[in-house]
Order: sequence, then structure tokens, then C-alpha cells
Amino acid sequence: MTVPSSTLILVEDVSKRYLTSSGPVSALDDVSLRVDAGEFCTLIGPSGCGKSTLLGMIGGLVTPDRGRILIDDRPVSGPDPRRVAPVFQDAGLFPWRTTVENVEFGLELQGVSRERRRQVATELLGPLGLSAFAAKYPRELSGGMRQRVAIGRALALDTKILLMDEPFGALDEQTRVLMGEWLLDIWRRTRKTVIFVTHSLHEALALSTRVVVMTARPGRIKSILPLSLPYPREMESPELVTLRAKLWGEIREESLRAMGEQARTAS
Amino acid sequence: MRVLAARVVIVVALLVVWELAARAWNPLLAVPPSVVPPALIDLLMLRSYPDLPRHLLVTVREIAVAYVLAVAAGLGCGFALGLYRTLGRVYAPILAALYAVPAVVWYPSLMLFFGLDSASKIAFGFLLGFFPITLAVLAGIRQVSGGLLTVARAFGAGPVTTFRLVMVPSMLFTLVGGLRAGLALTVIGVIVGEVLGSKAGVGALINHAYGLLRTTDYVALVLVTLALVVTSDALASVVERRARRWAE
Repeated sequence: MTVPSSTLILVEDVSKRYLTSSGPVSALDDVSLRVDAGEFCTLIGPSGCGKSTLLGMIGGLVTPDRGRILIDDRPVSGPDPRRVAPVFQDAGLFPWRTTVENVEFGLELQGVSRERRRQVATELLGPLGLSAFAAKYPRELSGGMRQRVAIGRALALDTKILLMDEPFGALDEQTRVLMGEWLLDIWRRTRKTVIFVTHSLHEALALSTRVVVMTARPGRIKSILPLSLPYPREMESPELVTLRAKLWGEIREESLRAMGEQARTAS
Repeated sequence: MRVLAARVVIVVALLVVWELAARAWNPLLAVPPSVVPPALIDLLMLRSYPDLPRHLLVTVREIAVAYVLAVAAGLGCGFALGLYRTLGRVYAPILAALYAVPAVVWYPSLMLFFGLDSASKIAFGFLLGFFPITLAVLAGIRQVSGGLLTVARAFGAGPVTTFRLVMVPSMLFTLVGGLRAGLALTVIGVIVGEVLGSKAGVGALINHAYGLLRTTDYVALVLVTLALVVTSDALASVVERRARRWAE
């Protein structure tokens, strides 16, 4: 499955430390990862394991202290919306822009003409299920809709890579499952490379081609779990139940360690 | 409808009580309402103060100059202190402390520096208008969500684009509110300055009428000043509503 020629994102020995009031904290320590074009790669792990930091680095928002990241063999030196499109956890929509104007945002920054970007955004609203809400403001939309607008804003850039930082983290369980199914549909049609951060085992197992489990501070890669099951996945199938137990075992260990650490620093 | 009726009743009742009390006590000092309309007509027909237009023009010009300066300096200082952290940390507390001082205490020194003419009124109007605008910019910058700034950066926005597409719309409500408050205070500053000592302007006329105990003319002049203030605020509120509609 991992053919070097199809490698799209290469993370090489990156480390990052943050300075906090209680001393330096190692967010990532010597992390290396290779992501192939077309993959749906999920990062999972306890809070503070550096998942978001790693995602921020791939998106050019966080600079590594050591190591480097290559996309298409070119090093990442800052945000590059022509190669990488981000989706944030809290949607991050502009409240003074309508749905269609929010979706247009990235194209506007790239200097795409008004007519052209309106056309692209309007065409995107259909599969997003937002056609009827083109002229609504974010405050008039539900949480799930807002997140779809945020995904639309990223898709409008038409990049090879989509970075998603817990995009459904703030949604209720049912909406979350439906949004996952919807995202899967979009991903299978566009064949983008997705790097997805989540806390949810269900999401990781239902969506990913590969699950990367990370350890708590310092953030390292603990294990990588390839998933070759066809979509849509039957979550109660014996294979998935076994995989789920295995994945939970790994994450449980790390989460317990993270909790223990928090208790120690607190006392 | 009911509220309106209640308001009318209260105003009429007050006027009647005032009229009766003024006549019974001292019509010169208390100015019964019934003598005001004729005085106002005299004033507007340029019979009592023939050079009223010239004085009005002086006041309006002082307000305009003071406000333009206050807006320019307020926006400049606000953004400088808000966007450059070190600068803000050093000077913002000083600014807040200065704002707490009742501005009138500066007026005598302004008259010494700028003389009795327009310059000292412009300086005082500027001083009053400058603070709310600066503070509104500072408050507005604090309102800009860090998350939205990150979104803009991730989508490739540079500092100028971020300022235009994220910061200004985020802070627009606060900013426009501050600009409106600044205008109201500039108007007050200029008129107070004129009343405290001047040779021209509506405030000078008010002082003149009051000094000569021409109390009905005085009330008529106050009403004209009131009209000036209300008009300027109405203009500001139109602009504010426009901005709000744009921001939404």
C-alpha cells in the first residue's frame, strides 16, 4: 500500500516544545509519518498528545523546532492554501458573511473574480446540502450546517489535501455519525487526501484508511493501524469489533497515562 | 401608541406647571414657556441676533475640524496601541488614567496655549472626542476572535487583507459606536469651550444673552444649540445604522 512514489505528505523527525508557566512542555517528539495521496489518515490519542500541533505543522500554522515537513517533495514554510485546505473544530465562520460568502472566502483571497467564485461556491452548496441556505448567516444555521459550510470553504480551494481538526467534535452523537457518512461520500467522490484529528473511535474506524495512535506527552506515534475494509463499513462486523477492541486498548493505555500525568502535575 | 400618549401628557403637564410657577415667582429668571416661541421666532428671523448665521457657521466649522482631528488621532492611536503590544502595554493605562480626569480641568491651559479664538475650542472638542474613539478602537481590537485570525492566516491572508476582511468587520459595531460617542462629545466640547470664553460661536451668543439677563433670548439660543446637537447625532445614527446593515 505504501508505494514511495505516491507519498504526498512526508513528516520527518519533527519536534515541538511549548513554553508554559510551569516550564517547557514537549508537544511532539521525533515524529515521522508518511501519508499517501488519496488516504484518509486519522490521528487519535489522548488530549495534549500533539495531534493538533502536528496538523498545524502540516498546514504551515506551526513551525517545528526540529525536523521538516514535505508536501509533494517541497518543504512547508507557511500556510499554503493552494495545496492544503483547513477545517477547524469550531467551524470558524465569519459571522458577517452569508453561507455562500463564507464558502467563497479562500477564492476571494486568491483573487478569483466575483462571478467565478460565486459560481464555484454555488455549485458546492448542492452536495453540501446547503443550497437553500446560501443567503443565511452562520447564526441562523445549526451546528452541523455550520461545520458543512466550513468544509465547503475548504473544498472550494480544490486542494489535494484537506486537514480536519476535530471537525465534528462539537456536534451531538447522531449529527456526528451522519456528518461522518456525508464526509465519507464527499471524500470518495473527490479522492482528496484527508488528515483527520478526532477523539472518537467510531469516527476513526468508520472513516479511515489508516489510524495513527499517538502517545501522551511527549507526543509520539505509538502505533499505526491500517484499515482496508470496504465502505460503507458495518460497524458491528466481527472484524471491526476486534479492531475496535484493539484500538481501544492502545488508546486506553495512553489516556490513563495522560490522566496520571495530569494528576501528578496538579498535586 | 400608549407610550406616546403618556409622554405627551407628561410634557404638557410639566409645561403647564412650569408656566404657572414661573409667572407666580419670577418671569425673568424662570422664563415661562409661553414667551419662548416669540423669542425663538425673533432669533430665527434674525431680529434679536442678526449675526446668528455667522456664529452658527463658526461653531459648525469648529466642530467639523475638531471631529476630523479626533477621528484621525483616535483611529491612529487606537490601532497603534492595539496592534503593537508593547506600545499598548506602556501607553494604554496612561490613556485610561488621563480619560478619568474631568476634561474641563484642561480647558484653562488650552485657552492659554491656543488663545480665545477658535483654536482653543477645536482643541477642547478634539480632546473630548479623541478618548472615546481611541478606547473604542482598543475595545474593538480585543473583540476580534483569535480563531478567525487563524482561519484567515490558514487561507493565505496577509496583514493588510486580514485587517480589511477580518478585523474591521469584527470590530465595526464597537468602532462605529465609538465614532458616534466621539462626535457627541466633540460637539459638547466645542460648545462648552465657547460658553466658557469666546468671541464668536453659538456659545458666545449664549454667554452674551445670559450676561445681559436676556433670558428669553438665552432659552431660544439654547433651543437652537439643542437642534444642532440633535441633528449631528441623527446624522451619526444614520451612518451607524448603515454600517450595522453592512456588517450583518
